Amino acid sequence: MENSNEDYKIQSFDQDTQMLLKTALKDPSSVNLDKVSNIIVDQSLKDQVFSKEAGRICYTIVQAEAKQNNGNVFRRNLLNRLQQEFKDREETRGRSLQEWVCFVTFICNIYDYLKVNNMPMAALVHPVYDCLMRLSQPDALMNEEEVDCLVLQLHRIGEQLEKVNSQRMDELFFLLRDGFLLQEGLSSMARLLLLEILEFRAGGWVLSSTAHKYYYSEIAD
Amino acid sequence: MSNWIRSRRRDAHSSDNENRSEGPSRWSHCRKRGIDGSLRSSRDGGDGVNNGSTDSRDRHSDSRHASFTTPESRGPVSRCDRQGDWGSQVEDAEMRRDVHRDMQRYRRRILGAEVTQRERKISSGSSESCDSREGENMETDEAVLLRRQKQINYGKNTLAYDRYTKEVPKHMRQPGVHPKTPNKFRKYSRRSWDQQIKLWKVKLHAWDPPAEEGQDKVLDNIDELGLDDVMDIELDFPTLSDSQNATVSLTARNISLEGQGEDCSGTPVKVQKTEPSAEPDMA
Repeated sequence: MENSNEDYKIQSFDQDTQMLLKTALKDPSSVNLDKVSNIIVDQSLKDQVFSKEAGRICYTIVQAEAKQNNGNVFRRNLLNRLQQEFKDREETRGRSLQEWVCFVTFICNIYDYLKVNNMPMAALVHPVYDCLMRLSQPDALMNEEEVDCLVLQLHRIGEQLEKVNSQRMDELFFLLRDGFLLQEGLSSMARLLLLEILEFRAGGWVLSSTAHKYYYSEIAD
Repeated sequence: MSNWIRSRRRDAHSSDNENRSEGPSRWSHCRKRGIDGSLRSSRDGGDGVNNGSTDSRDRHSDSRHASFTTPESRGPVSRCDRQGDWGSQVEDAEMRRDVHRDMQRYRRRILGAEVTQRERKISSGSSESCDSREGENMETDEAVLLRRQKQINYGKNTLAYDRYTKEVPKHMRQPGVHPKTPNKFRKYSRRSWDQQIKLWKVKLHAWDPPAEEGQDKVLDNIDELGLDDVMDIELDFPTLSDSQNATVSLTARNISLEGQGEDCSGTPVKVQKTEPSAEPDMA
C-alpha cells in the first residue's frame, strides 16, 4: 500500500485526503467522486510535480469505477471541471503563470493517460492544441517557464497529437519556427529549448544520438 | 504562491455543491443512477453536474410532483446543452464505438447463421431461409441505432433490470413470458420500436424492488384510479425520474409524447457497455 501511495504521489495531501483518495482507488462508489475529482484538479493546479503525474491516479480511478459498476461519474466530473478551467485559462494565466503552467501540464497528462478504447479522447484534442498554441505566442515565449512547459508537453504527447490532427501541429510549428528565428529578446535558454523541439519533431519525434549528445552531455567535444 | 486563491475558489465550489443538492424525485427510487451516473444508493442527494437550475420548483405547494403541472416557462433546452460538455462528448463517442462494435458482432452472427443454414439446406433440402433476409433488413443508420441504444441503456439502468438478470438466468427465459430487449438492428418503424421499448420496460417493472414505506403514495393513488397504463408511459420518460436535474420544458415534452421526448434528452447518462453476451442474443 505504501508503494501505491508512492506511485500516485499523494503524500503531499493531508491524512484525510490521502484516505479519501486511497478509498477512491479501491472502492470508488463509496466516496463522493465529485469531491475527489475536485481535489485532484485543485492539487494539480498548485503542485507542478503532481500535475505531471496526476493522469495516472485519474486513470486508475476511472478504471476502478468502470469495473465496479460500469460507471463514469469520476471521468465526467473530472472532464467537466477541466473544461471549466479551460474556459478560464486566460484569466488564470493573467493571475498566476505557475497555475497556468500547471493547468497545461495537467490537461496534457490527462490526455496522455485517459484513453477511451485505447483512443485519445477526441473532446480534448482541440483544447490541448489551444493551450499549446497559447504557449507559443510571442508573449508566452518570453517566459522560460512557459517555454519549458510547452517543450515538455510536446516531448510527451507531441507524436500522438500529430497523429490525431497533423494540420494543427503544422500550425503550431510555424509559430515555433517564427519564434525561434524572428522573435527579439528571447533568452538563449528559450532558443535552446525551441531548437531542440524543432529537431525533435523533424527527426520523427526522436532525437538523433548526436543531437542528444549536443543537448544533454555536460561537456560537448 | 496562489494558495489562497485556490482555497478560496474551492470554498466557492463546495458551497456550490451544497446549493445544488436536491432530494431524489419520487420516481427515482427504481433508478440505479442519477443523471450524472452516480449510484443513488451511495449518494442519494444526487449532487449531479447540472446547470445550476432546479430546486424548489420541483415541489409544488399542493405536494404534486412538478411534472404534473405546467412549469412557468424557463425555456426548454438545458439537457441539450449537456452535449457540449466534455464529459458527455466522451460518453457519446464511447457509445458510438460500442454500437459499431455491436454491429460488427451482429453481422458476424448473421453470417454464421447463414453458413449453418446453407449446410442444412444441402442435407435436408428445406427452404427456410429467414435468416439470410436478416442481413439485408439490418438497421444501419447510426442516428437510429444510437437513439435506440440510449433507450435500451435507459431501461437497463434500473434496479429492476439488475434484479431480473440476476433472478432469471438466460436459459430460463421464455419468449413471451419474460422481457426481452428489443433488437436494435432490425428494421422497425419508429412507432413500432417505441412501442416495443415501452412494452419491454413495462415488463421489467415487474422486477422493481419493493417500494419503501410511504414512498410511493402518488403511485399508489394512481393505481387506485386505474391509470397504470398512463403511468407506465410516464415512467418511461427518461427525464421524469431525473426531473430535478433536468430543466426540460415539460410542455414541449408532452407535445412530442409520441416520440417520448428522448431525442434531445441525451437520455441515460451512464453510457453502458452493453454486455457482449446480452445484446446480440435477441434476434
